[in-house]
Parts: sequence; structure tokens; C-alpha cells
Amino acid sequence: MTGVKVKYLLGNIDNPNSADIEEYEKAGGYQALGKALSMESAMVIEEVKKSGLRGRGGAGFPTGMKWMFADRDPKFPKYIVCNADEGEPGTFKDRIILEKNPHVLIEGMAIAAHALKAEHGYIYLRGEYPAAKKVLETAINQAQRRGCLKFPLHIHQGAGAYICGEETALIDSLGGKRGQPRLKPPFPVSEGLFGKPTVVNNVETFANLPFIIKNGAEEYLKIGNPECPGNKLFPVSGHVERPGVFELPMGTTLREIIYEHAGGVKGGLALKAVIPGGISTPVLPPDKIDCPMDFVSVPKWGSMLGSGAVIVFAEGTCLVKVAWRSLKFFERESCGKCTPCREGTGWLRAILERIENGQGREGDIGLLEDVAGNIAGNTFCPLGDGAASVALNFIRHFRSEFEGHIKTDCRKMAVGP
Amino acid sequence: MSEPGMVVEGPLAGLEEIKKQYPTERAALMPALHAAQREFGWLSHEALAAVASRLNLPEATVRSTASFYSMFQGKSTGRHAVRICTNVACMVLGAEGLLAVLNGLYGLAPGQTSPDGRFSLEVMECIGACDKGPSMLVNEDLHTDLSAEKIIEVLETYE
Amino acid sequence: MVTLSINGRKVELEAPVTILEAARKNGIDIPTLCHHPALELWGGCRMCLVEVEKMPRLQTACTVRVADGMAVHTETPRVVAARKAILEFFLINHPLECPTCDKAGLCALQDLTVKYGAVAGRFEEGKRVFPEVVDDPVIVRNMKRCIMCTRCVRMCDGVQGASAIGVIDRGAGSHIEPFSGGRYNCEYCGNCLTVCPVGAVMSKLHRYTYRPWQMEKTVKTICSFCGVGCTLRLEVRDESIKRVSAEYGDGVNNGLLCGRGRFGYEYADSPERLKTPLIKRDGRLERATWDEALGYAAERLLEIKKSGGGAAIGGIAGGRTTNEEIYLFQKFLRAGLGTNNIDSIARLGLLPAQKILEGVFGQGAAANLISGIPHSEAVLVVASDPTKLNPVMGLEVRAAARAGRKVITIGHVDGLKRHRTHRLEAKTGPGQETLIMAGLLGELLKVKPLTGENPGLEDAIRQWEKTLPGPDEVEKAAGVAASLISATAADLKEVSTSSIIAGRELASSMDMRTNMLLLAALGYILNSRIFLISEHPNEQGLIEMGCSPDMLPGERPLEVSTFREKYEQAWGAGINPEAGLTLMEMIEQAGASIKALYVLGEDPAFNLPARGRVKEALGRLDFLVVQDIFMTETAAMADVVFPALCWSEKDGTYTNLEKRIQKLKKALVKEGIEDWRILAEIGKRAGLPARYRNVSDIFREIAQVSPIHAGLSFESIEEGGLLWPYKGKPLVYSATPYSAAQSSSVSTAAGGLYGPWAEAAWSGAPQAQNGLKLVLDKPLLHSDTLSTHSGALMDLMGGPEARLCPETGSKLGIADGDAVKVSTEQGHISLKARLESGLPEDALFISNNFRGAGAFELFGYQLEPESKTPVLTAQNLKVERL
Ligand SMILES: Cc1cc2nc3c(=O)[nH]c(=O)nc-3n(C[C@H](O)[C@H](O)[C@H](O)COP(=O)(O)O)c2cc1C
Ligand code: SF4
Ligand code: FES
Repeated sequence: MTGVKVKYLLGNIDNPNSADIEEYEKAGGYQALGKALSMESAMVIEEVKKSGLRGRGGAGFPTGMKWMFADRDPKFPKYIVCNADEGEPGTFKDRIILEKNPHVLIEGMAIAAHALKAEHGYIYLRGEYPAAKKVLETAINQAQRRGCLKFPLHIHQGAGAYICGEETALIDSLGGKRGQPRLKPPFPVSEGLFGKPTVVNNVETFANLPFIIKNGAEEYLKIGNPECPGNKLFPVSGHVERPGVFELPMGTTLREIIYEHAGGVKGGLALKAVIPGGISTPVLPPDKIDCPMDFVSVPKWGSMLGSGAVIVFAEGTCLVKVAWRSLKFFERESCGKCTPCREGTGWLRAILERIENGQGREGDIGLLEDVAGNIAGNTFCPLGDGAASVALNFIRHFRSEFEGHIKTDCRKMAVGP
Repeated sequence: MSEPGMVVEGPLAGLEEIKKQYPTERAALMPALHAAQREFGWLSHEALAAVASRLNLPEATVRSTASFYSMFQGKSTGRHAVRICTNVACMVLGAEGLLAVLNGLYGLAPGQTSPDGRFSLEVMECIGACDKGPSMLVNEDLHTDLSAEKIIEVLETYE
Repeated sequence: MVTLSINGRKVELEAPVTILEAARKNGIDIPTLCHHPALELWGGCRMCLVEVEKMPRLQTACTVRVADGMAVHTETPRVVAARKAILEFFLINHPLECPTCDKAGLCALQDLTVKYGAVAGRFEEGKRVFPEVVDDPVIVRNMKRCIMCTRCVRMCDGVQGASAIGVIDRGAGSHIEPFSGGRYNCEYCGNCLTVCPVGAVMSKLHRYTYRPWQMEKTVKTICSFCGVGCTLRLEVRDESIKRVSAEYGDGVNNGLLCGRGRFGYEYADSPERLKTPLIKRDGRLERATWDEALGYAAERLLEIKKSGGGAAIGGIAGGRTTNEEIYLFQKFLRAGLGTNNIDSIARLGLLPAQKILEGVFGQGAAANLISGIPHSEAVLVVASDPTKLNPVMGLEVRAAARAGRKVITIGHVDGLKRHRTHRLEAKTGPGQETLIMAGLLGELLKVKPLTGENPGLEDAIRQWEKTLPGPDEVEKAAGVAASLISATAADLKEVSTSSIIAGRELASSMDMRTNMLLLAALGYILNSRIFLISEHPNEQGLIEMGCSPDMLPGERPLEVSTFREKYEQAWGAGINPEAGLTLMEMIEQAGASIKALYVLGEDPAFNLPARGRVKEALGRLDFLVVQDIFMTETAAMADVVFPALCWSEKDGTYTNLEKRIQKLKKALVKEGIEDWRILAEIGKRAGLPARYRNVSDIFREIAQVSPIHAGLSFESIEEGGLLWPYKGKPLVYSATPYSAAQSSSVSTAAGGLYGPWAEAAWSGAPQAQNGLKLVLDKPLLHSDTLSTHSGALMDLMGGPEARLCPETGSKLGIADGDAVKVSTEQGHISLKARLESGLPEDALFISNNFRGAGAFELFGYQLEPESKTPVLTAQNLKVERL
């Protein structure tokens, strides 16, 4: 399934000066921007549409379509916003671009700004990435001095709130408010930042643009799955020999990612479970690792591509504890706007906590399923759904482990790897 | 964190530059809060009031917004902010054990400041360094591949 | 046209609305908790989930708009299960302390639990706890009960515009707090209490003293505190008001109230209320029977009439009296005692301002809908702070600012400071509005062409144009940046509809004619609706009911004989053709040409400037009658005191500042006699037949004699009142000067207002006074001394304050909270200093609400020659720390 093998996102990151504009230009950087600027805006949008690029922020929404909506809205100024809030646990792919290859992002944003006639740009950078902030500041300065940036581009620093990765929450947060999701419609493409048409794209999404413009949509479509083309960054963590970020074509299987690129399960242990796309995506048991990793295929295998963050659990890992810690995350990150998520995530965590602590009772699994079922589908934004699906899927695939926990105290039972 | 001896002209002197980056004063609130936290050490009543008056915003609005974000400190902190990730990827690599180490050595508990005022400890959600977990941020520095020995070694470099 | 089906029923709608609105319009109820029609859409509670065919997820009815062909089901098993689940989520952390919660019985959470059935307690972990906060004087917060609907916050932020509270923290730890538990920016409107669906924020007044279902009655009436005339609901038990509330949709206020209206009702129950008539014997006021008092008062007044003529008697009325009372009062004075010496508190600003404006634009110029304010393209606020004086009208200005309308403030308007406005404020305190208005007018004339609609006014404006000060001049004299003035004018260039809110300071000024012409000119150019601040609930009624020396009821000029004759016929008595004395003239003549005064619901000894002189003058009277609810300073000097009933104890009508007649309803039965009856009785003794059985009869008479009220009946005043010109005929004014258009008799009446204007030239900037200036303060939470009888308001603001800005404070060596002595040539008072940043420099604000330390102890006055309005002066102002 995998076609051409090129690395256009992380190609030069082994170069210790990869973040410098000179190095970037030496490797052909900013040529795509020059080409884009020589094109009509509408043609750039057309090219992106043709390329089939899907947003890398998690939902896989076609980027060209999003741009088209924003372009059609008659209001000005228009804003482009880079979502660099990367908060999905297990995800650290955007950080590599931000710290090692910032110019590919800046070039991508400059192309987008030209395409959308946007007059202002912001990078919403998560507060936990202070190092990236410094690199970005230098890079933006360099790009500005070289005349590569024709619009003001500012970094807006987050302050520790996962939900601000959700684009409407991000927009409110950028506006100086509590980062809670807003009602849709109106969608950001018509009423976004400061009430103006706004395109929010993930770091990696922007970083795909220089390749697409420089080589054309047709070349891009040759990479990965034609329904979901291009390269994808896969951050791999947990129990593997060589954790890290791997740039691979869409559609590379989980098996290949874990066993070929990440060096296999740590210490040669058996694989117990794998989360394919950050902890909001449903966990998969070992028999599902032939799943091709792209936005179209993963759902067919019972999960989602999400951010592509692969977390590997070796034999011996206590999955009740993993589920508990995941729910704790959702509980802490729930924004509090809607009832099921605000009240339900903590409840799920509490039940898991007592099971984990050896105080589980008969009926607790049913209760978990019931409470999670009451959250799922009833929340304001996908965060709550994510929380429910974590509980439901860990139980679905590892029910016997939960049952075992209720009967026997885990701490006496589990042996970590 | 405010460096001792750091010279600032009036509270939040840098804010005027920041305001220019946004079309509304409200939008400058988060950067203003970051600046206030650097300057005042934490977001005290006084710090929030200063931000409110500089941005012409109601104080309740400023406080409400600040309290939403976990990195804005609503209480006084130690000289160094230690933020350890205990989310799933770091947890399965042993992050929780580090908490015990810190408690034993510095009397540090999550959400608190060590009795000598040197460190305050915050348990974090994922900080995006899962490949080298367990990981932590001390002030703005990232430290990874932590073990019981390494975490002590690292922290001892912060006075 | 949208067609959809709800629960299988076909529903047709004019325009796309939310599913919730569509359902409710068709009588189908969908439960909601976070939704409130007055507030920004939220969609957080998830109580309103419904099933929509072809949509996999349940949808929130409160946020999703209907679309053609949609099929909605509001009560399917799936929907019911989801709602039950949501309720369970609410209840797991809810304290379930309904037996000790004042909201029990009015609680939406309770009602919904009853409807959908409680879920067995499956949650066994500890509940979230927050301590109950009772340290605020009027609001109790119990965050354990909070369901995070955020209605209170959205109310405070998005409607009240105070932003005094906010959600603190996030997720399950979210709760609502005032800033640091303090009272920052809280205006104590209590509108948060109205929208809280549970018992999380509640009034502390009468806490734990009743259960909602024990309330005996709820009476909808009108507030007694200001000219907006908000609709209130008085909840009554044991002949005492337990609670004041208002609901969305109520009255001109649409369910909103201010702190005075909501928490100020306790004065009605004050033990200091007067209960029996009093007669002064041997220098002491002693109890008397009604018969004695009425007989004695009538006898003495008739005696004085006989010996000195009617002109020896005068009457003064306050703005809390009803239309029916005022009507009988002036009838008694005019027809019974033969005097036109009748005036009221409206003389201090509303009456002269209105008269002049109507002289330019025609009668009814100031009859405009408050609800229209946010819909005008621009709002100009001049020399007043509507957010304090007429708070609920102030909210409409804030709404305009929020909606992005151009809001311009001229002068210092504290309550709009945080809102997006053009602020044209002088550096040093009030009094410079004339200059700023002139500067703005000059700039506007450069960018905005005149339309030619009102040639007379345009002639006057053109004459002025050459002499108006340029923006640089204004900058030099008043400290308002020239560029700001030009920018404001430029911003107003395209405006085609606007509202102007003007304060009485414009009229009670030696520059009043200049001020009013400037105001009229601005209003003309900006095509404005003009609103005049009115501090009392029936100040407008004082004007319309003929409580002025030169006007008969229906605002008919006294000097026009045809009008006079009509009234003489109706009343069966002659009317003196000579206009009477105005308010201050009567006082000045006390003991000289004036021998007796009848004061109805007003306290001139406290509420007028040069208090020392006023009291002296009242002391020189041969006879003084006072009808009031408290032993005011004036009442204490009286020869006869009639105990009045207060607003909650009688029927009648008030006319608000929109010129809307609204009904006051009797909610409590108290001992005593309604005020109209007192006036009718004393009138009878003066030979006026009293045929009235009730207020409705009086109103019928008003409708018969007053042309603007023609055709009205008391019963016809619907809820929501009746708007100008009611059903009657106003005097027809024309845009051109009077003489050209009207019969000669009318023209003289109005020409006096209009004529001289054309000749009035801009006489140059009023000189800015250097040094400290005394300014009459108008606190948000008080109204005259009346409000000082309300415990809750006293808890919120319990004493007089001298407010000044910290810079001025430090110049004078005064710190916040210092006791200071303030003196002028008139007198001195001692009070507490309060430093507040944002106040103008060189200004000292003192209110006239607190006995013993009222600002009128310090102010003197000068009469403006034309209108005889007292213009406040303060010579030799000094402030010392004690
Ligand atoms: C709870 C939640 C968290 C999210 N976090 C992120 C994030 O950290 N980074 C990101 O790029 N997108 C995140 N998203 C997705 C964004 O809402 C949005 O879809 C994305 O930024 C669009 O960019 P793309 O089209 O380039 O993917 C999140 C969505 C949800 C619902
Ligand atoms: S599901 Fe609801 S409470 Fe949770 S993060 Fe989204 S909006 Fe906030
Ligand atoms: S009423 Fe619709 S979500 Fe609360």
C-alpha cells in the first residue's frame, strides 16, 4: 500500500541546525512559498483540495474544503491559526516540527495565508512547550527579516488546558477567555477568532503544504492511501525498544510501526494492548495490529487514527490502572461546561479507582458501562465521548482483567514489565 | 519566576507591546497573566488586580479566566516549579515511583511547596515527551528519562 | 416558512427558530435548566435533549435550529432515559438539602426530579463540598447546590454588564465566586437570583422565614424608586412583603431589576412609619383623630385664604405621589384655595428640560421607548449616569455598547467605563459638558449635512456654527483630546437613528439655555430620541397632572383662557389667571407673601439646597401641612401631619419617563387612609364636592378634563401601561417657531421657550473653576432618604461618603476611610472619605441621602432666571481630615 518513500516533514532533523532558516533554504525550503505566491489564491486552494490532504489534528477533516468555506465567507480580516496545543496524551509529533523544523510550519502558514488572503496569523502553542516557543520566535524573526512572512504571525502561549486543543475552545482561549468549546454553528470558518472567518489547522497539517505546492497534488496523492494520502507522523511511546516519532506514509500498519520502526516490544515481551491514536482513541488488542494507520482504515478496525500517537503496553501492564489514569486525565481536563462530562468523568474515575484499589464490587463493571453509556453521545464536545469510550473499550477488550481485579487485589497480582 | 534583582519599570511594563499583537484588550489577557506570573511569582490578588486594571477588564473576569488554566498559579509557589508528568505513557514507565522519591527527600507532595520553599510540585498531564518518559519540567527546562537517581541529580542543580 | 413535525404534529413557523422555541410556541414543553431566553445560548446542561430523525445523536433543543422537514420527538424512551441520566449526574453531587433550602418549591431541579423520577443512589463516593457563604449582606451562596448552568454569570456579564462574578476553576471543581469573595463591581441588582434555577444564589432577606407555597399573594405593581417604572412582584404574607421578584417578560424592565427595587422594599415595614395624624400643640406634635386633623388643617388654610388671598398659600409635591393624588392636590389648591403656587421636585431639572425640548420638537418629544435604545445606531449619554440614576435604562445602554452600537459619553459616566464607548470626559470634574457638546456639534456640522427638515432650528444652528469652539479650544479648556472629538464626530457621520440620554444637570445650570439648544441641535442632527433622566417614579406625572405654577393638567398652559375656562367649568370654581410661584420662590417668600404651605410627599427642609435658609423660611410660615410616610425634617416642623400610605398599600397610577401610564396595585392592607382620600376629604371641606369612590373615579375625571388623557379609563390601562399620547390629543407644536403656525394665544405660551433661542449666541466657554469642586453624588443603592429606612440597602451602603480620586486624596492628605469635615459658606458636615480610582480630578462627590450629612447642607443655589431652577453653588469648599 505504501508508495513513494520520501521524508518531507522530518527529512533534515538530524542536522543540528535544522531550525535555522539557512539550512532550511539550503534543503529547498521556501521554494514552495515562492511558487504559491506566483499562483492565484484560488488556485492554491484548488491544489490543496485536489491533494486530498486531511487535517492531522485528529478529526481528519479535508483541509481544502475547510479553506474553501473560509474563502467563501465575505468577511475580512481573515485569520489563520495554527493549533500547536498538542495535548492528546502520548502525542509529541508537533513538538518535533516546532523545535526541529519550524520553517516548514511557517512556510505552510505563509502559503495558507496567501491562499486565504488572511491578514493575521497566530500559533496557539501549548504552555508546556517553552523550548519550542524560543525556537519559534527565532524562526519567525528570521522569516520576517527574509521577507518570507508578509503578515504578522504571533505566538499565543497556552497555559495548561487540554480542551484548548478543540478548535472553538482554542479560539475563545486566544480571545482571552476560559477555553470552553463554543456552539457550532457558527463554525470558525465563518465566525471564528474575533468573530471573523478563521481557519484552524494542526501543525502537521500546515507542514504538509510546502510539499504539496512544490510537487503538486498528483505527486502527493502517490504517497500513502489514495483516500488518505501523504505522510503521517507517528509518535510511539510506552513499552517499545526505540520510542520516538516516525514519518511514514499513511496506511503503514501498526505492526510495522511497532515492530520495524520502534524496535518491537521492550525486552521482547508479548504485546498486551495498544492505543493507536492518543488516549482518546479506543484501545486495541494484539490481534488488531495489522490495522493500516490512516483516517479511513482505523475506524474499520474498531478505533480511530486520532493524532496517530501509538502507546504500547507489554504483557504485565495493569490495564485497569491505565484505564483509571486515563479517566483521571479526562476528569482533570473536563472543562465543566456540560453535565455528563463534568459529573460523569469523575464518577468513572472513582469506580475505576476502587476497583484498582481492590475494593471493587460485583456490579461495578455494569455500573461503569452504564455511566459511560450515559455520557457517550450526550456531551457538548468530543472530550466527554472520548472519556466514555476509554472506559467502554478497555472493558470490551479486557473484561476478564477487570473481573479479576474485582475478585483479587491487583497490587498482589500485577507484575509490571 | 521573577529573578531577584530583575528590573521592571512599573508592574507589567511589557504589556503595551503584547497588546499590539491583538485587536482587543481582552485577547491580551493570557499573555498578560503569563507576564504577571513571571513578575509576581504567582497570581496573587494583587497580580490579578494589576492585570485587570492594565487591560480595563473586570477583576472577576480576570480571575475566572486565570483559574481555568492549570499552569496559572492561584497560590504562592516555591522558587522552582517542578512539573512531573504521570499520564499513561510516563506512568507505565514508572513516573509514580518518582513522586515517592520526592516526598521522601524534599517533603514534597503534589500541589504543595516544600517546607524550605525551594520547590513546588505539580502533577501534570502529558507534557509531550512520552518517548523519553518519565519526564518533567523544572521551570522552563525539560528533563527526561528520569529515574530515582537521575531526578535527584537534576533537582540538586536548582538552588 | 418552515414546516416540521414535533411528536408527529405538523408545525409551521414564520422563521427558523430553535427546536425549543418551536415546541414552546406550540404548547409542547421541553425541560431546560441552563437555557434562559434573556441570556446567551449555552447548551451545557443537556436537559433539553430531544430526538431528531436522521440525526444519530440526541440534540439539544435549546440550541439547534429547526429546518424544513425536520421530525422531532421530545419524549421518546431514549430521550427520557437520557434526561434521567442527566438528572442522576446532577444529583450525585447535589446535597439534597431541600428541607433547609429556601428554594424548595420553586426549584427546577426538584420539579424535574419529580417529573422523571429519582435514580437510586448509585454514587457512593463522597459528594463535592463547598462551604455556604453568608458573609454578604444580601446574597447567600451555596455552591454545593449549584448545577453550573452559569445563568447567573451570563446574566451578570451579558445583561447586567457588571461582571462581578465568574466561574472559578474548571471541570467538577467549577464554582461561582465574586472576586476573592469580595464585592468587586457588584451592583447588587440581584438579577442573578432571578435566573438561578436552584437554591445556589439566594436573597438573605427573610431567609428561612417562609416557604414559597405559604405566600398568600403575589401582586404585580410598579417600583417606587425611579422613573423607569419597573414591574415588580410583591410576594406577600401576613400583610408584609416577604420578597420582591420579577420574571422575564415583566414590564418595561423585562424582568430585570436594580438593587433598590429588589432589596429596598423594607422601608414599607419600618417601625418608624407615621401611623396617626398629628397636630402641633404648644410646639409639640401630638396625636389627633383624622377628623380633628382634617378639620383643623382645612380651617386654618381657609382662614389664611380669607385674610391673605389664595396667593398666600402654596403647595409642593414630591415624585412618589400618584397621578390621582397630584391631580386632587393641584385641584384642591387651584379650585379650593384659589392659588397657582404649585410646584414640585420636577423643577430641579426634568420640568424645565422637558419644556424647552418640547418647545423645539413638539409635545411628547421625550416620550420614547426605553427598549428602543439598543436598536439605535448610536447612543449619546450626556451629563448623567443612567446606570445609577435609572439603572434598568442603563442596562439598555450597555446592551447597545455590547451590540457594537456607537456609544458616546459626555461627562463622567462611571457605569459605562468598562463598555466600549467614546468617552468625552473633562479632566477635572463635571460642569464642562457644555463645552464638550459644543465642540462635538461643531465637528459634526463639518461632516454631517443638515437635512432641511426643521428650517427654524437649522437657522439657529447655522448662526451658532460660526461661533462654536473648535476641538483644540475644547482640548485646552476641558482636557478632552481634540482628536477624540473629531474621531467621534467622524464615527457618527453615517448615523441615521440614535438615542440621547440627558441628565438634569444640563437644565439645572446657569448655561441651561445653551445646554438645551446644544442638546436639541445634537438630537436633530443625529435624528435622536431623547430620554430625560427621571429620578422619581412619577416625576412625569407631576408635569402632566398640572403640578406646576403655569400649567394645568394635560400640560395645558394656564394663561390660555380657553383652557382655563374648561377646567373652571369642570371643577365648578374659578381659576386665578396669574401664574404662581415656583418651588424656590415659594420658599423664598415664606413668611412674606406666602403664609402657608401644603407639602405632599416631599421633604423640602432636607431635599433643597441652602438647607439652613430653607428651614429658616419654613419656620417663618404661619401654617405648614405635611403629608408623608415618615417624620421627615419638614414634617417635624409642620402644624399638621397626615400619615401617608406607601406605594405598596394603595392603588393609583404612575407615569414613567417614557410617558407610559402604569398601575400601582395595593398589595398590603395597612391602617390609615389612602392619600387621595385625605386630599378629597380636605377638598370637600374647602367646598369641592368629593364624589370619588375610588381611584378609578378620579382617573375618570382626569380623562374628562385633560385632553391628553381623553378617552382613558383606569381599567383600560393594560398591563404594560398606556403610552403617550395615551388616547388623547397633545398640543400640536410645529417645527417652525410658534407664532407662524399657531393661534396667537398658544404661540405666546410656547414662543417664550423657543423664540429667544435663535438670538442666543454662543457666549464662549463657561470658565472652568480651578480647584476642588463639590458635586452632588447619586449613589446606585439609595434614593432620597427613603431608602435609608430599608435595612438591606443600609447594610450595603450604610452611611454618607465623600468620594474622591486617590490623586486628589493624596494632594489633600486624605486616605481611604478617613473621617473628614467638609465645609462651605453654607455649612459643614462630617463623613467618611472614600478614595476611588477613575473619578475625575478635583471633584468631591457627596450625596444627599443621609440625615445629618446631606450634601444640601453644603450647597447654596442661584435661580436660573428663565426657568427658576435652583442652580447649585458651593463657595469656599474646604475638606479637612478629622
Ligand atoms: C478534545 C479535543 C482536543 C483536541 N486537541 C487537539 C490538539 O491538541 N491539536 C490539534 O491540532 N487538534 C486538536 N483537536 C482537533 C481540533 O479541534 C481541530 O479539529 C484541528 O485543530 C483542526 O486542524 P486540522 O484540520 O489540521 O486537523 C482536538 C479536538 C478535540 C475535540
Ligand atoms: S464534553 Fe462538555 S464538559 Fe467535557 S470538555 Fe467538552 S464541553 Fe467541556
Ligand atoms: S437547556 Fe438546553 S442544554 Fe441546557
